[in-house]
Amino acid sequence: IAAIELPQGEWPELVGSLLANMGGPQMEQPAHLKQATLEALGYVCEEVSADILAQEQVNSILTAVVQGMNSSETSNDVRLAATHALYNALDFAQTNFENDMERDYIMRVVCEATLSPDVRVRQAAFECLVSIGSTYYDKLAPYMQDIFAITSKAVREDEEPVALQATEFWSSICDEEIEIQEEYSADFSGDSEVPYFQFIKQALPALVPLLLETLTKQEEDQDLEEGAWNLSMAGGTCLGLVARTVGDDVVPLVMPFVQENVSKPDWRCREAATYAFGSILEGPSLDKLTPLVNVALTFMLNAMKDSNNHVKDTTAWTLGRIFEFLHGPSIETPVINQTNLHLIQAVLLESIKDTPNVAEKVCGAIYFLAQGYEESGQTSSPLSPFFQSIVQALLATTEREDSGDSRLRTSAYETLNEVVRISTEDTASIVVQLVPVIMQKLNHTLEMAVLSSDDREKQSELQALLCGVLQVIIQKLGASETTKYGIVQYADQMMGLFLRVFACRSATVHEEAMLAIGALAYATGAEFGKYMGEFYRYLEMGLQNFEEYQVCAVTVGVVGDICRALEEKVLPYCDGIMTQLLKDLSSNQLHRSVKPPIFSCFGDIALAIGEHFEKYLIYAMPMLQGAAELSAQPSGSDDEMIEYNNQLRSGIFEAYSGIFQGFKSNKAELMAPYAGHILQFIQNVYHDKDRDEVVTKAAIGVMGDLADTLGASSAALFQRTVFFKDFLDECTSSDDQQLKETAEWAQGTISRILSG
Amino acid sequence: MAGTTLVPPGRQHKRTVSDQQKRRELALQRQKQGRRDLQHHARQLALSALNEVGDVSGEQEE
Repeated sequence: IAAIELPQGEWPELVGSLLANMGGPQMEQPAHLKQATLEALGYVCEEVSADILAQEQVNSILTAVVQGMNSSETSNDVRLAATHALYNALDFAQTNFENDMERDYIMRVVCEATLSPDVRVRQAAFECLVSIGSTYYDKLAPYMQDIFAITSKAVREDEEPVALQATEFWSSICDEEIEIQEEYSADFSGDSEVPYFQFIKQALPALVPLLLETLTKQEEDQDLEEGAWNLSMAGGTCLGLVARTVGDDVVPLVMPFVQENVSKPDWRCREAATYAFGSILEGPSLDKLTPLVNVALTFMLNAMKDSNNHVKDTTAWTLGRIFEFLHGPSIETPVINQTNLHLIQAVLLESIKDTPNVAEKVCGAIYFLAQGYEESGQTSSPLSPFFQSIVQALLATTEREDSGDSRLRTSAYETLNEVVRISTEDTASIVVQLVPVIMQKLNHTLEMAVLSSDDREKQSELQALLCGVLQVIIQKLGASETTKYGIVQYADQMMGLFLRVFACRSATVHEEAMLAIGALAYATGAEFGKYMGEFYRYLEMGLQNFEEYQVCAVTVGVVGDICRALEEKVLPYCDGIMTQLLKDLSSNQLHRSVKPPIFSCFGDIALAIGEHFEKYLIYAMPMLQGAAELSAQPSGSDDEMIEYNNQLRSGIFEAYSGIFQGFKSNKAELMAPYAGHILQFIQNVYHDKDRDEVVTKAAIGVMGDLADTLGASSAALFQRTVFFKDFLDECTSSDDQQLKETAEWAQGTISRILSG
Repeated sequence: MAGTTLVPPGRQHKRTVSDQQKRRELALQRQKQGRRDLQHHARQLALSALNEVGDVSGEQEE
């Protein structure tokens, strides 16, 4: 109720009345009343946004909460409720954390609560520390030594829920420092004001041994339980983050542990050593890692025959990490070469037959192995000799009886996608042969007996995966004239299957089928027209899907594909499509990210149907002008808002370009009344310091399109304007070839008009 | 406590392959490329039409 009423300025006495329940030195209140009150205060803080409560109210809440947490409080239930309440109130405490005395007091109470005799209070107190670590990173320096002592004691000695939170504290500090490095990497200098304290680097000599200790505390069968989390997993995850935070410095601290443990008889030691090695493969430099991996690779390939399941699981995962970070087109000295590739694929294809958890990690390793060859060329790839056996192994994995109970089937299909993406001309025929195989599987799902919601979920999951594979194949083969026929010959059958899939109601399946259809429209071109009669209603359904906005977004993109494929033949469907797109734009329900692509889609439609777009102009133009005004509102330093405004502007410019180009031959004069406004909009965008490159390209293109379409009638407009010359100069001297070309074209077009 | 604690939000033990976002992104990339190519084509056509007019008028002037 508070969440509804407080933001409307109602129930002003609530916080006061609650606080009265807490009593004071003169009047001790019963523990259950204090507990219930603190829980209520916690809920209020959780639900109400920080700017709703006055600072005075925040202060009173914090005082009550911190008092409830204090070690003098005798009831553990009250202490626990208070600690939970503080967790929810931390976001409100900005002002209090600015004040040294108040901050010291809050930190002292939190640290004391981590020593409570009640495990629930200790866990909750560490949760507060984790949140403080993220929210108030820049205020932590004076407390870090104490926090390290508290957390390391908890990790080593306390019960697991507490130890997990203590580990999470260090993971969240890593998150903060990684983010600072990514955001401010250019600004680090002696007098830098960036709040970067390098806590992890300073704690490294003590933190790494602490984390390494956790790695040998695995649970039996931990890899068989999906979504499980324990201390060794939290420790390994944290070690991975530490490696990303400090880079090379982590290596000498971890490698002795790896070398010492990787061959020990105890599986826990072998697994821990492998996990530690795999965890540090992202972060340190290639110079540091490559020699180590060159030595370790053969060992790892042998370890895929280890007697222990978890060791094999972690080894396969580590191989995947090696391929992800030390192999690929951008790597100068990749660890994979023609000599060891044969052995690698042989080991992977043997190990993919292992238990589902190991096989799933092997799929991951194949995924990254394939990804590393994505730019190997058009005609052949080092993976080509093994292509057929890899595809067969992945298909066999999807067929395994035990693949449906874990993520294995999903991983196998998703890996098949990557393998298809990197295929080259010499393996195209194998990809073509995959089409009927996958179609048959999809057909099979349509005939599955669906008796329960579980069955329905399995059917949907499988259909989504298979539509995903078909989309990837269509896109791959459709991209080249020489392989396109491999798709076109199956287009009727595929479309028939997709239409039947739409009859099964599931958002993910619709999205995947829609993406596959978009790719098919691109591959078949005008031939796609014959499917429109049946397909149209699903297209409309997709555009109406406000709730599952991803489906709507994908459908908007597919409308564009269809426009480009059908050109004028899309006309009979445009009334319906435009009506729906306009409704989408007016909807407050629809996720805002779908709106910029809708404007781009206006451009696609206009370009496809040319002068016939006239009847939509009176609806589309106010929408475009309204959105242009909206995008001009100041976004301050809100990065998300800046990005959104840029996306909106790109969409608007793409719409204008499509409309200008579509009207150019017969209806140019229709755009004359809007030309002044459009040029003004371009000018506003030109002066915006947050304008990104995509917007710049789109804006300069529209300027040329305007001049090209309106011709001499726009000359006066350009003569009255000054900015366009500067804008053109900026773009013609750009290093971006595409922008330069568009700008030179626009410059030529405008010059002709002005001189003519 | 075995098996009772679930992975906290934002953390993953041995991250596995997830391809769905890549499929979306590549589809979007193809669509953007298609749109860009078509617009580029329209502008090229406009340019060559203008050049032809220029050539013809040039010839006439000669």
